[in-house]
Amino acid sequence: MASIFAKKRHRELAFIWSLLAPALLIYLFYRVVPLLWNVALSFSFWSPGKPMEFAGLYHYEEMAFYDDAFWTVLANTAVFMLATPVAIALALALALLVDQNIRGRSIYRTIIFLPYPMMVVAVGIVWRWLYNDSVGLVNYALRSLGLIERPIAFLESYDFAMMSVMVAAIWQIVGFFTIIILTGLQNIPAHLYEAARIDGARAHHRFWRITLPLLRPSIFLCVILGVIASFTSFDLIYTMTGGGPGLATELLITYIYKTSFSLSRFDYAAAVTVVMFLLFLALATIANRLAGGDAGKVDIAD
Amino acid sequence: MFKTLTTLIAGSVAALAIATASAAAAEKITVLTWNIPVYGEKIAGWITDFKALHPDIDVEWIDKKGTEWATFYQTQLAAGTPPDVVNIQGALWAEYAANGQLLDLAPYLAADADFSGRFVPGALDMWKMGDGAATYMVPWYFNRTLLYLNKKMLAEAGIAKAPATFDELMDAAEKMKGEGKSGFLTTNFDWLFWPLFKMNGVDILNADMSAAAFNTPEAVATLTRLAEATKSGAINNISWTGRWVEPNTAFAAGNVGMYMAPNSALFWAASKGEWINADNVEVVQDPQLWWTPNHHGWGVSASTKHADAAVDLVKIATSDKWQEVMSNTFSLLTLNKNVDPKLIEKFRKENPLKATTLELAGSELDKITGYLKSPLEARVKDAFWTSVQPALLGEADPKKALDAAEAKVNRILSRR
Repeated sequence: MASIFAKKRHRELAFIWSLLAPALLIYLFYRVVPLLWNVALSFSFWSPGKPMEFAGLYHYEEMAFYDDAFWTVLANTAVFMLATPVAIALALALALLVDQNIRGRSIYRTIIFLPYPMMVVAVGIVWRWLYNDSVGLVNYALRSLGLIERPIAFLESYDFAMMSVMVAAIWQIVGFFTIIILTGLQNIPAHLYEAARIDGARAHHRFWRITLPLLRPSIFLCVILGVIASFTSFDLIYTMTGGGPGLATELLITYIYKTSFSLSRFDYAAAVTVVMFLLFLALATIANRLAGGDAGKVDIAD
Repeated sequence: MFKTLTTLIAGSVAALAIATASAAAAEKITVLTWNIPVYGEKIAGWITDFKALHPDIDVEWIDKKGTEWATFYQTQLAAGTPPDVVNIQGALWAEYAANGQLLDLAPYLAADADFSGRFVPGALDMWKMGDGAATYMVPWYFNRTLLYLNKKMLAEAGIAKAPATFDELMDAAEKMKGEGKSGFLTTNFDWLFWPLFKMNGVDILNADMSAAAFNTPEAVATLTRLAEATKSGAINNISWTGRWVEPNTAFAAGNVGMYMAPNSALFWAASKGEWINADNVEVVQDPQLWWTPNHHGWGVSASTKHADAAVDLVKIATSDKWQEVMSNTFSLLTLNKNVDPKLIEKFRKENPLKATTLELAGSELDKITGYLKSPLEARVKDAFWTSVQPALLGEADPKKALDAAEAKVNRILSRR
């Protein structure tokens, strides 16, 4: 035993592993084990209090060929993901604005960032009231402007519900994206712009040739965070619409919850979770590849 | 210093171990209730009575909101630590009973005439399963759908009497619709809209609950009529999108002619709209007397280590003494035959609308519908509703919606 620690390198390794072990154990028990259990459950028949039986691909077959709700919620999740590019575009515009040398810019930055730390449940409730067709500010404003004659029940409407929750999601996350992009902007060396000016490059040329390419890691970090948010926006949907009307705003994550706890189908929900996990993994990999494998590098490493 | 520190740590660990051991040694039963946090003081009273019977057993009370109840209970079941005594809403109990998670209370009822004899005739039937021998729950409180008529709107529309059929109901709704007004509104969760289909002879499942029975020409006609009335504004579309607060608030606003909802919904609405009283609102049975329950019962977990004590707690909770407190606190029926008549009598002078409502709610108990005592109830309900709701809102063809619902329901019933 003593000989193992005789070499300095071994002693160092033992020290490093002893420091890493608690975090790795927590990761193992809270992430890896549940994930493996979830995969096992997806190939089984099981409900609380009942013995587990092997089900093979039963749940996956059901998902693919019989459960049209699954395809609807998958499509909804894809649509909901479109909130990310919109939020990034808005955040880019806002970051460029608050990066200018204008009076009170720190106040603007604070105001833009403010919605992000708010509890999502609170955001959901606030927006639910804003959209209310009897007393909501949105309907009041639209009617006052003469844009609509009758109030719209935004969150009860098949046409408007998804768009309405996307607006709330964008409103909340745009401040966070703005801060990320702003950090990226401030990391771009000023001499690049000076050289471009000397060479006669106009503002839009400087934006397309310098700003945007150098912001790529920040933007892709936002893409990944946006994708994560799209997959995990449980509380916003739950408080604003509960997934309705019908399945109009049901996302994969709320569908998994409903399948588990309202319909007692933990096994089937596990299969949907596995599919969601794989989709998420694929999207994150693609996003990272597109970022040249260094999403977030400027903001974190440099 | 080091020695002192070591002694201190060792002492603390030993004290903690003793405390944990003694806590673990204390016998305890857990009671789970469904969204009734304001009732804590009264439940403390039950516990006092229980402790007089079982001084060596502690009682822990847990309350969960309706939206959190199933999550909590199912998690506890999965962990193998379900609460000993559970308050369950509607037909959810059927799944737990079928999975062997609820204790059959029939032997306890048979052994105690006071216990079995305290409920109104037919009340226990709502929680019987299989051949009827097993009784998994006993009633705690009871609500069911009734029809509430806005007298002013009916008079303005020239309607002299309450609708007695589906067609009369729809015709009356059409007559009462107008700018900012709708003729009819219903609650939709837990099959509370089902009397509308049953009035037209439509059943959810066949007699042995092995196949869908709702895809009939009558159902298509009913669904089409409901969708058309919703599109025209005769039916308030909150009927198909709201849950509890939304429809009750809409009725309380005074712009709805007729509201089909559980009696508790009327009382909730009355707390928001002062106009809701016997002068302005008439309460009648749903057309053709069909009604859907929204009731709560008590069950005992099959895995409890203290079955007798758990049943004793249920006996206390459903006793005349505590059910009188319950009925007076919330103005609701308990299905306790000694308690409910007293409450109705009390309201005859104090609040005639409540008296009439409760009297009607406690009658015609055999005309129950939309109540599936099946372990697959939640899945059938979800499959039906997600297919049919778009049709009610004019987003899908009624026949296609019913075809889709039938296919889904039959698949649920025929496969695992």
